[in-house]
Amino acid sequence: MSNQKKRNFQIEAFKHRVVVDPKYAEKTWSILEHAIHEIYNHNASGLSFEELYRNAYNMVLHKFGEKLYSGLVATMTAHLKEISKSIEAAQGDLFLEELNRKWNDHNKALQMIRDILMYMDRTYIPNTHKTPVHELGLNLWRDNVIHSSKIQSRLLSMLLELVHRERTGEVIDRGLMRNIIKMLMDLGSSVYQEDFEKPFLEVSAEFYMGESQKFIECCDCGDYLKKAELRLNEEIERVTHYLDVKSEVKITNVVEKEMIANHMMRLVHMENSGLVNMLLDDKYEDLGRMYNLFRRVPNGLSTIRDVMTSHLREIGKQLVTDAEKLKDPVEFVQRLLDEKDKYDSIISQAFSNDKTFQNALNSSFEYFINLNNRSPEFISLFVDDKLRKGLKGVSEEDVEIILDKVMMLFRYLQEKDVFEKYYKQHLAKRLLSGKTVSDDAERSLIVKLKTECGYQFTSKLEGMFTDMKTSQDTMQGFYASHPELTDGPTLVVQVLTTGSWPTQPSITCNLPAETSALCEKFRSYYLGTHTGRRLSWQTNMGTADIKATFGKGQKHELNVSTYQMCVLMLFNNADRLSYKEVEQATGIPASDLKRCLQSMACVKGKNVLRKEPMSKDIGEDDAFFVNDKFTSKFYKVKIGTVVAQKESEPEKQETRQRVEEDRKPQIEAAIKRIESLIERDFLERDNNDRKLYRYLA
Amino acid sequence: MKKEDTVKLISAEGMEFVIDKEAAMVSQTIRNMLTSPGGFAEAEHGEVTFPEISAVILEKICQYFYWSLQYSRFGFFIFYFLGSVSCFFYL
Repeated sequence: MSNQKKRNFQIEAFKHRVVVDPKYAEKTWSILEHAIHEIYNHNASGLSFEELYRNAYNMVLHKFGEKLYSGLVATMTAHLKEISKSIEAAQGDLFLEELNRKWNDHNKALQMIRDILMYMDRTYIPNTHKTPVHELGLNLWRDNVIHSSKIQSRLLSMLLELVHRERTGEVIDRGLMRNIIKMLMDLGSSVYQEDFEKPFLEVSAEFYMGESQKFIECCDCGDYLKKAELRLNEEIERVTHYLDVKSEVKITNVVEKEMIANHMMRLVHMENSGLVNMLLDDKYEDLGRMYNLFRRVPNGLSTIRDVMTSHLREIGKQLVTDAEKLKDPVEFVQRLLDEKDKYDSIISQAFSNDKTFQNALNSSFEYFINLNNRSPEFISLFVDDKLRKGLKGVSEEDVEIILDKVMMLFRYLQEKDVFEKYYKQHLAKRLLSGKTVSDDAERSLIVKLKTECGYQFTSKLEGMFTDMKTSQDTMQGFYASHPELTDGPTLVVQVLTTGSWPTQPSITCNLPAETSALCEKFRSYYLGTHTGRRLSWQTNMGTADIKATFGKGQKHELNVSTYQMCVLMLFNNADRLSYKEVEQATGIPASDLKRCLQSMACVKGKNVLRKEPMSKDIGEDDAFFVNDKFTSKFYKVKIGTVVAQKESEPEKQETRQRVEEDRKPQIEAAIKRIESLIERDFLERDNNDRKLYRYLA
Repeated sequence: MKKEDTVKLISAEGMEFVIDKEAAMVSQTIRNMLTSPGGFAEAEHGEVTFPEISAVILEKICQYFYWSLQYSRFGFFIFYFLGSVSCFFYL
């Protein structure tokens, strides 16, 4: 072994045969040219891939790439020109089929050609920045076939014709359409757009302009929307079947613009079938369709919302100013609740719970409920009715539902303090007459009010409940410490803390002897256990149960007011009493006394007294007797209820005045707070708008 | 080996190498050859003739195909194999 042996070995390049033949390129090219012809003529099976590949390879290697490439271009172009002619020659509907067939042939040939020219594609072409074979083939097809003058316009008009036919209901060859469209897409997005999509969109716009005009003249709103929806879905389906997916949004925009956006106002305000009619008739399906279609166009939903809002405000306003409806407050509030339910339903079923619509609903209700300043009073009356009898026998969940609905109306009120005043009055009457259907329901509502408005709002109401409970305990204590009284008339006292209860003028009257003695005993018992307090009897608010025997021996138990009891007890000692005598003996104020006598002498079924003369009104000279002929089906007779009623006009004024007075200190306190914040530089007044305050950092 | 899964490679001297199609298609060129539409002669008969490749080279090429199939997932550099031959092929 020699010491000079090389350590590293080298890889030598493969040495090719040196080209001697001057006509080498020509010969080689003609082999390939022939092969291309054969390929286009569907004669490839005789060809040897290896031979062709080798020849192409050699040409490129020996620097004849240029000749090969330009030869390729020329040969292909020639073939495509012939193909073009045969496509032009096709008649009528066969045109597209022939085009499709030739396109498939071309693609196949192109692939074969690219395979045998692969070496050129990978080396010569990138080096010279020429177009690769496959792309070249597509470009040549585009230039020589698609853009040939005789084919280009014919192709487009045929495609549009087919689309139009399909739109008018004919069945077309969708597979063929898909292939042709795919061909355009393969040739480049600009080809697809310029040679098809743009004209397609223009023609579609015209078509739908005509369609919408035709429909809007003869259809009502609901039908028109159905048709629009159909067309929209049809176009979307068309895209999935044979168009480029990117066209979907473009064509739907066209349909939306022509069929919906351009006619939006006319549709919404259409007489007898527009939005307002749909709302009135609860047409959920039509409303849902309108919502889904209009949400696709700018300002669509806001248009629906605005019309709904103004309609709501209109009917709301009618509702709260209609004198007929206002006669029955409970009915009135029920109507409000029904209206709210109706629209809640519409929004959830047709408007897919859209929050902006919910807000519009709320603001409309807030608007018209506060148009009538008796709304707080009426809502309280509604609650009063429910808690007295409306909720009798209703399940717990249903009670909650109704109370929640009431709370919802309460939230709309701006004058919540007015509501509180009335509520307090009505609650007092309910508690004192023991006429509440469910204690749980009462408390539940108080809790809801507390959650909504805070502790301050409900503290007095809760105080009233506490007083009722405390009074029960007090009565137990009283009778426990005076066992000798258990045989006499039973006294039930409710001790009301002033301030929690609605203010009443304190009126006393002359109680019958038995009663007043008992009351005094209670007073001393109570003051004995609670020093430093003052008790005053509210004789205008009490009730009494009396056992009475009439002329023919008929016995009844009468449930009467305290005043009525005072009057009746007088007849234990006298058969006949004049008005003046009654007035003097009882000390009851004149208007109350007249009402009291009226309810006992002039009301059928409750006339335990007889009056001379038998007129309806109480005169100063009237005389009263016990009505010995009094009859009633029932043993227990109720006379003199203290029901909460709609206030009369003067009462209303008085309440409102009290509310205004109560507001004064609150407003003053708020002003003081703001002033102190301004002084301490937490707030400042805005320079331009005196009504605006700004927070300072 | 089933007939349908094999392909015959024929050298310049006429020596025939029958190998799996999968192996042959390691070569992109042969792959194109066999899968090209239009039915070239080679695909029709399942035979490829290489008039310019000698049997020795062709044998090595076939060995490379199988080696490649086996070791391709390890990402071996082709140099380690080519180091044993001093020729250049168009693959």
